[in-house]
Amino acid sequence: MERISTVNERKLFLTLDILLIPVLVILFMGVFSFHFALTVGDWDYWIDWRDRRWWPLVTPLSLIVLPGVFGYLLWDKLRWPLGGTITILGLSSAAWVSRVWNFEIFAGFPLNMVTPSTYVGLGLMLDATLVITKSFMVTGLFGGFLFGFLIYPLNWPIIAPYHLPIEMDGTLMTVADVMGYEYIRTAIPEYVRIIESSTLRTFGEAVVPLTAVFAGFLTVLTYYLWVWVGYLTSKPTWIKKIV
Amino acid sequence: MNAKRKRPVSAVFLLLLTLFTVNEVAAHGERAQQAGIRMRTIHFFDIEIYPRTLKVNEEMTVKGKFIPSENWPDHLASTEGTAFLNIGVPGPKFIRLSSSVNGQPMIRSTSFQEGELYEFEMTLKARNEGEYHVHPVISVQDAGPIIGPGYWVTVETGTAPFENHITTLFGEELDLETHGLSNTIFWSSLWFVIGFAWFGYWLFRSKLPIIMPRYKLIADAKDADDIITRQDQIAGGVCLALCLSIIGFGYLWAEDKYPVTTPLQTGKVKTPLIEWDKHAVAAELVKAEYRIPGRSFKVEVNVTNTLETPVRLAEFTAGGIRFGNPNVRELKPQDRHDLVAEAGLIVVNEQIEPGETKSVVFEANDALWEIQRLTSLIYDPDSRFGGMIQFEARNGQRYPVEIGGAMLPLFN
Ligand SMILES: [Cu+2]
Repeated sequence: MERISTVNERKLFLTLDILLIPVLVILFMGVFSFHFALTVGDWDYWIDWRDRRWWPLVTPLSLIVLPGVFGYLLWDKLRWPLGGTITILGLSSAAWVSRVWNFEIFAGFPLNMVTPSTYVGLGLMLDATLVITKSFMVTGLFGGFLFGFLIYPLNWPIIAPYHLPIEMDGTLMTVADVMGYEYIRTAIPEYVRIIESSTLRTFGEAVVPLTAVFAGFLTVLTYYLWVWVGYLTSKPTWIKKIV
Repeated sequence: MNAKRKRPVSAVFLLLLTLFTVNEVAAHGERAQQAGIRMRTIHFFDIEIYPRTLKVNEEMTVKGKFIPSENWPDHLASTEGTAFLNIGVPGPKFIRLSSSVNGQPMIRSTSFQEGELYEFEMTLKARNEGEYHVHPVISVQDAGPIIGPGYWVTVETGTAPFENHITTLFGEELDLETHGLSNTIFWSSLWFVIGFAWFGYWLFRSKLPIIMPRYKLIADAKDADDIITRQDQIAGGVCLALCLSIIGFGYLWAEDKYPVTTPLQTGKVKTPLIEWDKHAVAAELVKAEYRIPGRSFKVEVNVTNTLETPVRLAEFTAGGIRFGNPNVRELKPQDRHDLVAEAGLIVVNEQIEPGETKSVVFEANDALWEIQRLTSLIYDPDSRFGGMIQFEARNGQRYPVEIGGAMLPLFN
């Protein structure tokens, strides 16, 4: 009798794994993509939008939401340091599917103009810090800071080839600017791009490190906020009833 | 069971697809704009698009003139703010090699003065075969695209696949269709591999099944943190060190390979004005009526000719519809969507002598008023119209004059 019930239980648990894990990943793909499209949108769609000032600031603040909320839940329920990794893997996979399908095949843009940035490394550092320290406090301080601070250097090997200078009709441009000009986006006129428009422009060269520190600092604070939201979500009894 | 499971998955994908489908200006979306906006914003004229049949890799010119309206609606942001010379095609079926207004390159945004004359020219290169309705467009910040007249263009298969090469300031030739792509794929894949390895480590670190036994273990544990082993923490340390090293290495590699880079460039340019005899012929609106049963638009203007030669009223254009005076200029639609009213204009007193001021009445009757929904402006809160008259001298010289004001509907 005992044996049969254990075998049955094992079968049930295996089925649960097979169902739950893909559903979780697909849920992250959908929810994160939706959230990211609403908040970051064009900054991540186009190679000529990733400026030094706004893209590295807006992106980590939007990117930290799901790793914060689900990072807490996955740690609380399963002691899995996977919140950053799975959510960002989901987002990035969905982004690649969307860029190839919608932007390249359907709308006809060359894929190199619309490839997503890479963020997986940020989620990994957050999760690794959590498992080493077992503390959300320290994870926020260290991992959260790296999350915001390193977004630009992490992507620089991808972006740099698009920042080579080119002269066009007497105007200095980058490769990315030329692509944005040449490949026609009627719905996105030039003035829509938000390129380093702020007083920080006066800092010139120093804009990259300054933005990085600022982004790191803000990400620490927002990370705590989203972990707290995760904590609130894990408490109510209704979720226990479902689980 | 299986079918039931699949449904939410495909629903999510469907949602993703609809969400991320790039929005495009529909080929004939121009009609959707409010009539008043189309008549009182930008008067496009002398639009030329050539050649209208070409092969992939061949170039096409889009040129013409426009005058931003002096009757620009108050509630609408104007070209005197920020504007951009744009082109309306369904996606990057062409690439834009160059564009200029009054000789000034239009890579950047600019502004255009109301009542001034602008001459634009764009060179496009065909990228994908197909049939496209091509329009010049002026995008106005906070107002949207103002769409000019369009023509059909046919792009045929070329002898070679499309190519787009450009040379950097270091003399390096790049293929913009593929530049950097394999590099992006390499770095992205590298991070995907590490990410999935970390995910895999946690899935398969102990015997199957995965979730429930671990969930129970943690629910029953006195201190759940004890579930994390020394090995787990070492794995975490390795992961963190690996991430930091790759980021550091990648950054230094990029700095070494691309020592000189430029930040993204933007900014607004100033468009020079061209000299033109704006007041040579003046027209003042006396009365404008639209008789609904006959689709007949009747306008009376007082015209003053300060030139030393007589001029005749040759054409009236409103909201992109052109009405020609058959005595002066016979207009024929150039393709199936060319907005030329074949019925033309009926003009009384079409010729104005040198130094003369006189009343000219013209009538524009055509179903296009209704088809293009221009008459819906009588339902606009201010019922004001705008349009442009072109006078023509004997030597062929043309004088565009804007008119605008209240329009009175007549119901019988
Ligand atoms: Cu069209």
